[in-house]
Amino acid sequence: MKRWCALFFSCFLTGLVWGQNVEVSVYVSTTDEEAITGAKVSLNHAYALTELSGTAILKNISIGNHLLVVEAKGYAVYEKRIQIDGRKRHFHVKLKPEVNQLKTVEINSSAQHIRKNTDARNIEIVDQQFVQRNLDGSLMKTLDRLPGISSIGIGSGQSKPIIRGLGFNRVVVIDKGIKHEGQQWGADHGLEIDQFATGEIEIIKGPSSFVYGSDAIGGAINLKPVNVPLKQGLGGSVNLIGKTNNKHYGSSVNLFGSNEKWFFDSRATYQNYADYRVPTDKVYVYDYAVNLYNQQLRNTAGRETGLHFSTGYVGKALKTSFYASNSHAKTGFFANAHGLEPRNVDEALHDASDRDIQLPYQTVNHFKLINRTEFSHPNGKTEVELGFQHNYRQEFNRYTAHGYMPPNYPNDMTIPINLERVYDKYIYSGNVKHSFNIHKHQVQMGFNGDFQNNNISGWSFLIPAFQQLNAGVFVYDKYQVEPDLLLHAAMRYDHGFYQFEQYDDWFRSEDVVNGSMVQQYLTRARDFSRNFNSFVWSLGANYNPGKLNIKANIGKSFRMPIAKELAANGVNYHYFSYERGNENLDPEVAYQIDLGLTWTAKRWSVAVNPFYNYFTNYIYLNPTAYHDRFYGAGNQVFEYQQSRVMRYGAELKATYQWLPTLSSEFLGEYVYSEQLSGEKKGFTLPFSPAPSGLLNLTWSPKISNSISDTYFSVDYRLTAAQNNIVPPEKKTPGYQVINLQIGGSLQMNKHNIDLSLQVQNLMDTKYFNHTSFYRLIELPEASRNVVLSLKIPFKSIKKQNNQ
Amino acid sequence: MRKHFRLLGLLALFFTAMAGCKKDDGEEIDTEYPEIVATANSFPQQCSLMMRGQTALIKLTFSDNRELGAYSLDIHNNFDHHNHSTEVNECNLEAKKTPVKPLLFVQNYDIPTGLKRYEATAQIAIPADVDHGDYHFLVRLTDKEGWQTIKGLSIKIQ
Repeated sequence: MKRWCALFFSCFLTGLVWGQNVEVSVYVSTTDEEAITGAKVSLNHAYALTELSGTAILKNISIGNHLLVVEAKGYAVYEKRIQIDGRKRHFHVKLKPEVNQLKTVEINSSAQHIRKNTDARNIEIVDQQFVQRNLDGSLMKTLDRLPGISSIGIGSGQSKPIIRGLGFNRVVVIDKGIKHEGQQWGADHGLEIDQFATGEIEIIKGPSSFVYGSDAIGGAINLKPVNVPLKQGLGGSVNLIGKTNNKHYGSSVNLFGSNEKWFFDSRATYQNYADYRVPTDKVYVYDYAVNLYNQQLRNTAGRETGLHFSTGYVGKALKTSFYASNSHAKTGFFANAHGLEPRNVDEALHDASDRDIQLPYQTVNHFKLINRTEFSHPNGKTEVELGFQHNYRQEFNRYTAHGYMPPNYPNDMTIPINLERVYDKYIYSGNVKHSFNIHKHQVQMGFNGDFQNNNISGWSFLIPAFQQLNAGVFVYDKYQVEPDLLLHAAMRYDHGFYQFEQYDDWFRSEDVVNGSMVQQYLTRARDFSRNFNSFVWSLGANYNPGKLNIKANIGKSFRMPIAKELAANGVNYHYFSYERGNENLDPEVAYQIDLGLTWTAKRWSVAVNPFYNYFTNYIYLNPTAYHDRFYGAGNQVFEYQQSRVMRYGAELKATYQWLPTLSSEFLGEYVYSEQLSGEKKGFTLPFSPAPSGLLNLTWSPKISNSISDTYFSVDYRLTAAQNNIVPPEKKTPGYQVINLQIGGSLQMNKHNIDLSLQVQNLMDTKYFNHTSFYRLIELPEASRNVVLSLKIPFKSIKKQNNQ
Repeated sequence: MRKHFRLLGLLALFFTAMAGCKKDDGEEIDTEYPEIVATANSFPQQCSLMMRGQTALIKLTFSDNRELGAYSLDIHNNFDHHNHSTEVNECNLEAKKTPVKPLLFVQNYDIPTGLKRYEATAQIAIPADVDHGDYHFLVRLTDKEGWQTIKGLSIKIQ
């Protein structure tokens, strides 16, 4: 304990005790004298980050001989012995670009470590190397390995994130500065993101409403653009992927280039997969036995393409870049249970080929155009982000009359007979952020706004067409009280507006009025509008005395109800339910306390991140005890309601380095949720992940000079049973799964080939994932899968003379 | 090293405290589904017949561990053999055909509050002019908490 106190007080006292200590300023620039921001400047044990001007100030440095180390992402580490003797000293360090630009920065590099320690929220940062090593069917499944992150998925290629038990519209995905907008509300809708095209990925566990506005109430996933360093000439890489479980093959080809001021980056990805396999011959869909041919889930094949192009200019006072991307996917739904409804299917048709996509299936196209521009000022910068997105989703299915729909599809319908649902969405967004420094304050202020136009089509109805407008302003102050103490404060005000369009059924329903039978068209949505206003705040602190890092954050966050919560009025055959929106919902409000404690020693580290979360009104789809024959075709009524909810939980991460080449890691996560009021008082929230732990052992031997970055890694995942459920969920037993990862970088003729091999579900265990969309119909998770991924970078030779 | 153990101890304590925070106010939440009990008197049963121009007398027995909620009945054609039967045995289906005037019946019913067991009866008039053939009889039963059990029977209308 004594050492603790000593450590604590020494931070404040050093200045008083040793009077002859001096202040050292270090200016860090590129070889072209351009300031580098965020570089870590260390003098013996003291360190500081360079400000926007490129300067870092280190205080209380004793006179004498010191080792000056400067590290910044994308640059080679600078090390030099320096002599400090005067009253005040200035140093100018010029950083050279990293020798091998193509190699990705290692996970948990010091720059990421610093970022984690200067943000009061709990952050996980991974990069493309993590994606390569843990490559799964979709980006969110890949990220699933991280503590506190789970995914809700359907089939093998689609899933969306859950952060600490909150998902759908409670987690924001930011792609290159602009909020990604698809149809986040639907459990069967994946996220239209190409995992090969992501740069660094930052996951913020916990509310981030004050930066990202509504929907960031559970957390945020920030996908950063790939950084193309300047003066590279031409370069690129080819990725090849193969998976055994669903006979997946794919490739992603990247080409980039840059000179002194301009750069471009492009990528094309194609993936093609067959029906995926589960370790069982028979599944039970609502007690209805379905025999699987070859253990494959009928009609779960898919195709995905992603096209990306970006270009930009980097000047002294102005940086600007344009990103254009288009991702397209066509994926089948498990034919025996589309809509979780047992159906007799033409087995001969489906089983003839495991790669064809028959009805029911969906196609999604997502187009994106983004511009990011940054203006540098002497004491700060202004960033402007503009985005346009078009999300077009079509769901195709055989026409099946439900409720009062006519038994035969009428000939005079303009909607094609197989077109069940269409969601067509246009999103226009704009962000402006200005950051500047005053004394020890780093201030950011900004504006976010977006407008959405949503249209619908198809013979089935769930939500009406609507327009949506959001606007928010925020201010955020980061105050460096001491070199190792940071305080944060933020405020934000938001306004939101919805306009819904009327929808009438295209078929008549039967009703008895005054004793006589009448046939009438039902109005499922009326023309109405809603306005929302919200004020949120957040306070945080970071204290980083040496090996210990402490962070704390407390704040209020909010979420505007989404269109489905306000205006749904139709049968969702996925749950045998009739979903009814509630026009009068309030914006969801939550209060959260987050803590982060990290202890980093030479050979081991422990990090604990507990949180407590209280919702005054969690908006929740409540399965009632009633049925509705009229709007709901006799199905159970699921109604949107608000209830008080308490949640708490924690993540634990511990690492131990046994030998220089042998390390182990434990990742654990736990979430508990409980509804404190309303009809489901005492029940949990839907899709609550079960407590789980992941034990990893990694051996990274140096095999030969031509093979580097070798790793042999075993993940042993233990997940407890989830018995804490809410209708219509099922209790899910615990399970244990082993995954293997093997890889390395081979040097061949001056070329590197990055190779990674994974074996997922090594023991072919039959288990259920509580947060899987297919859990309700007792579909086990995928059987053993061997994933082989190769990355072959290439580069034009002529520009390499400076190395 | 001692303080390291102290830190670990603190963490362990924190986790134990968290795990111990479970709801403790006595009443357990209900996670049991209601049951549609098959009895000898139940009508319809798998492969039962209903006659056109007559009124079918529906008799069903429901039970729940806490309290029943409500139920709904649904009769729709299975002329395309799309099949929602939850029963093991299938009836002999007639050849597939296109519906002309199929019977469509959808109705929801309340169950008096506070019951754990309920004998439901309903009358369904089968019009004389509807298509005969294979139909499905779907029973959806909920309990008060919102757990739902579905039973799909194959029936024939003659």
